[in-house]
Amino acid sequence: MRPLTCTKLALITLTGVIIQIIGLSLFVFGFFPIKPALSGTSGSESFRLPICNSVGNQSDTILPSDPLRSLYKELSGIPSSFDRLILMVIDGLPAEFVLGKNGKPPSKQYLEAMPYTQSLLASGLAVGYHAKAAPPTVTMPRLKAMVSGAIGGFLDVAFNFNTQAMLDDNLLGQFFRIGWEMVMLGDETWLKLFPGVFKRHDGVSSFYVKDTVQVDQNVSRHLGDELSRDDWNLMILHYLGLDHVGHISGRSSVLMAPKLKEMDEVVKLIHSSTTQSQGNARGRTLLMVVSDHGMTENGNHGGSSYEETDSLALFIGLRNHVFDYASVIQQVDIAPTLALLFGVPIPKNNVGVLITEAFDSLKEDQRLRALELNSWQLLRLLQAQLSGLPCRNFPCDAFSNHQSSDPSECNHSTANMLCCLYMEAEALYNSLKSKGGSEFASNKGYSRTAAAYYKFLKSASEWLSRRSTDKPVKLLAVGLATMFISCVILSSLLFCWVREIYLGGKQQHSNLNDSMNGWSLDETFILGVILILVTSMGSSSMVEEEHYIWYFVVSTFYLLLLRKTAQSLAPVGVQSSLGMHKGQNGKVYSRMCLIFLLLISGRILRGWHQGGVNWTSLPDISKWLELAGSHYVQLLQLISAFLVISIGVCALFSIESKGKFFQMVRLSFLMSALLVLLHIIRYQDYTFSSTNYGATLLAQIIYEILGAATIGTVLALPWLIPFSTFKICPTDNTLSPTSFFLSIQEKFPLVELRDSLYVIGWSYILCWCLLQLLLQQPINSTPILLLLVQILASLLYFASNGTHHKEWIEIAALYYLGMAGHFALGNSNTLATIDVAGAFIGISSHSTLLSGVLMFIITYASPMFILLSLVMYISMKNTAHRVIPEKADDGDLLMMMLGFPCLVPLVLNSILLTAYTVVLLLMRNHLFVWSVFSPKYLYVCATTLCTYIGVSIVAATGIYTHLVLGIRKRKQVPISNSTR
Amino acid sequence: MNEKEKNSLSRISSSQVFLTHLCCGLALAVGFWVAHNVYSINLISDPTNTLRLIWAIECPVVILLFSCFRKKPEKCSYLKAVARGLVGLPAGALVNVLGALALGSPVGLQYFEKTIIWSLLMSLFTFVPATSVYGSSWTDWHRIFACTKPKGSLDFMLCLPAHGAVIGAWFGAWPMPLDWERPWQDWPICVSYGAMAGYGVGMVGSFGLAVMRGGQKQIKAE
Repeated sequence: MRPLTCTKLALITLTGVIIQIIGLSLFVFGFFPIKPALSGTSGSESFRLPICNSVGNQSDTILPSDPLRSLYKELSGIPSSFDRLILMVIDGLPAEFVLGKNGKPPSKQYLEAMPYTQSLLASGLAVGYHAKAAPPTVTMPRLKAMVSGAIGGFLDVAFNFNTQAMLDDNLLGQFFRIGWEMVMLGDETWLKLFPGVFKRHDGVSSFYVKDTVQVDQNVSRHLGDELSRDDWNLMILHYLGLDHVGHISGRSSVLMAPKLKEMDEVVKLIHSSTTQSQGNARGRTLLMVVSDHGMTENGNHGGSSYEETDSLALFIGLRNHVFDYASVIQQVDIAPTLALLFGVPIPKNNVGVLITEAFDSLKEDQRLRALELNSWQLLRLLQAQLSGLPCRNFPCDAFSNHQSSDPSECNHSTANMLCCLYMEAEALYNSLKSKGGSEFASNKGYSRTAAAYYKFLKSASEWLSRRSTDKPVKLLAVGLATMFISCVILSSLLFCWVREIYLGGKQQHSNLNDSMNGWSLDETFILGVILILVTSMGSSSMVEEEHYIWYFVVSTFYLLLLRKTAQSLAPVGVQSSLGMHKGQNGKVYSRMCLIFLLLISGRILRGWHQGGVNWTSLPDISKWLELAGSHYVQLLQLISAFLVISIGVCALFSIESKGKFFQMVRLSFLMSALLVLLHIIRYQDYTFSSTNYGATLLAQIIYEILGAATIGTVLALPWLIPFSTFKICPTDNTLSPTSFFLSIQEKFPLVELRDSLYVIGWSYILCWCLLQLLLQQPINSTPILLLLVQILASLLYFASNGTHHKEWIEIAALYYLGMAGHFALGNSNTLATIDVAGAFIGISSHSTLLSGVLMFIITYASPMFILLSLVMYISMKNTAHRVIPEKADDGDLLMMMLGFPCLVPLVLNSILLTAYTVVLLLMRNHLFVWSVFSPKYLYVCATTLCTYIGVSIVAATGIYTHLVLGIRKRKQVPISNSTR
Repeated sequence: MNEKEKNSLSRISSSQVFLTHLCCGLALAVGFWVAHNVYSINLISDPTNTLRLIWAIECPVVILLFSCFRKKPEKCSYLKAVARGLVGLPAGALVNVLGALALGSPVGLQYFEKTIIWSLLMSLFTFVPATSVYGSSWTDWHRIFACTKPKGSLDFMLCLPAHGAVIGAWFGAWPMPLDWERPWQDWPICVSYGAMAGYGVGMVGSFGLAVMRGGQKQIKAE
């Protein structure tokens, strides 16, 4: 077999990565359809029976608004109960705060916080519902669901930070078409979704999470003026403050009760103003208080737990007769209800069912008409989605033969059943109509018909909303196959490379340690971990609790290392008899200490955040600290920040070099470290901090100095590092075959290369740590310190002589360590744990890209940390034991140096990615596919991105430094020859 | 020295191995039986007391039995071996506690007693037999536990059940984070089950090896 060359290795790796990217994007676009939606908008045809082969008559959409409004009014046959609508969206308000939980009224503090709303509910002037929101519980998809009645695709989350105009049929569009004047105050998401629709608007940004006061004042300041005007039909108020309160300090925040009181005041103001104006020309007003989603105990949202999906729908203006705290609707039900109440066609893609109580004031035949309209709309949607709907042609055929359809037929298939239910309801209604108005008076006929309609509507709605969307199978298969190919390419490349390095050397250097050859326990374990991970991904609860696997596996690996270290601890008697080095046991002890350090810090990290889904309520260190008081958290943050900084700065200052350049590097890092400390002391006030100009400016200065220092170090260091005899990098080569090492050294500036990579590695690590100290929540600064300790301990352990691990094992172990650290920083496989608040530190104007980058930096702190530390790993690793061919040229050395650190993370990631893709494909009909497996897949994709970035940084740094040093060496050699 | 070692090793016959393991296994079974029938508790309803009961029955059996196989019986009296085993008990428990903590066993006052009693039981499975037999001889400990290179039936008798118990406990911990909401998922119930199962497998393995080796020796002798 021909040996691998550097270019070949690099090219194959690059090909593998590119193939993987292609496969991944094919799969993602296949699996997460943007939305399977009917195009176009509902017009007057929605008031007629669905007919087959209908070419949508678009003529009425050209009609001007006033005739259209009267046309709709005429066709619908339902008198509109209200003339104006005020939609008040309170972002993130859990229905529990207003309606309690499990049918019980809310707890006393919430009752007292919203006295007016509660009095409305109690006196029957309002109807409240728990509106169940579909995951992902993030604002934009939920707003879309409320106004269109459709449940969007999962990737809407990804677009949450990049809102685009809503093109599908929706309520606002319908209102606009009949000439409504609309006013919007609040979250600017609305403006992005519906550009040009609003007559007046004042948008506020939802991205300054730390501001809880100003956002709401900006909405309320217009209220008095707007309420006194009569030139609008729809007013949307979107209050963000409550969601921000949740993001800052959770449900039980001290800010929550005042915020609820503020909302209550707004409700009171609007309600009293609308009741006053009841009589005059403005007409009757419906005030609807809704929330887009709930929040978890910590104030996050995005997932599908009860706390997050339990949103509120409160109709103030509807009269209720029997009020209970437990009535549940779907969030999408709001859309058809509002459409029918205000006499516009139901949006085309609606899957909701009208809310019965909203139509209680109408006559029976009007109520049945509303049900019929809703059924027609759902039937149209069903016809579009179920091509083989057997009752498709029935409106065309004279449905005289409907008597022949016996009830047993209703159980064949979903389509059959839905069709059957519909026909039953339609037949009942028709017979009722044919018997004339007298029959309506008898409640029995009405209630039977209504029940039949509801049965159809509920089952159709349930089927439509739960339906696994048709996936382009070919696209998915191609994507998966491509990913699989790239996985095979990368793994086999690694396999060949391992064989060449370790087994190829067997013949040449048989004197090497025996443990270098053959399988040892740690290798088996590292491979076993991959197997464990891949199998565990198939179970939804294991995906939810993935962090336990990582913690368990990492600590087991270090226990195995401990055992291995103990093996080399020679027995006292044997040591003296064999005449071994005296220092040997001392070194073993120091290695054992390193492992103990790793184990202890790993255990503390594990206990820091009780992550996952099922056991989050168990006590952990972060909760305990928060209970103890914010000043403890602050103190701990200061101490850990100080320790991190002193470790880094000590390392930089311990480099024995007095060049001006080194002084500059040290100074700039010291300065940014001090600035970070200043930022922590002055601005990260734990309980409450609003957007602050000084804080933003300081954070920006820190970014600039850190960026300049790091990039400057990387770029300039290889040019400026002196060729000399001193050694910066603390590797001990005492036991390495020195002659061998010298021969390389003569040929190549290995020492300089190592030294510069060592300094660059430190600057990467320090830069990353400082960035994390700045961005992470205060509670997470101690985990950052512990992570740093773990990384340094592992690097020292792996760099010390006598640990004859294969390099790929060490890098795989580091990778696992990074994943364990990822969960130790409080991340999980639900979208709810992403820290949104930190993503706006130091950003003065709203920028989706920048805050996205910051969010990525915060979330992937630990895996990225590990990948960056690989630069230092390269410099510290003693590669002298490696088999280097006689004719090692520069490329070979580069390959020796960078091969494993780049290839191993890529291979591990590609295996996990491919395996998880298969799992996702198998689980596509699983109940939890949208709530558990899809978020996890997004995380897997982001991890892939993180790996790409990290590996390319490592590779670029290595290649650049190598090239620069090579150039310098070549220039220098003739000079030194001439001086000789 | 080699001769001596051979002598000490050849003292163990496969029937002795069988009897020892049988007694240890029976002690475990008796522990369960007493807990179930006399006190009507089991590992799930009352893990602390059940484990304590099993431990109380298993402890004298293990220490007394393994002290019979002490190394260099001419230098070390039976009582001394028993005493060594008693000292080894808390020491082994400490190691087990540390290992369990490193792997993530819960920390807290409500778990304290459970963890202690579990680790005492684990100590009986793993460390106590070896302390009774070898005392603090680092060479032997290094051979058996660090390198896992046992020589002879006695080493297998110490090594296999101990490793079996540890590996069993490791596997036993896997169901703990799952959301099956079964009472046995609590610390340390499933871990104890796993440890006992692994211990049992280790004992069977050790006996099997003893029989095989005995057979081989006979063949050689013939």
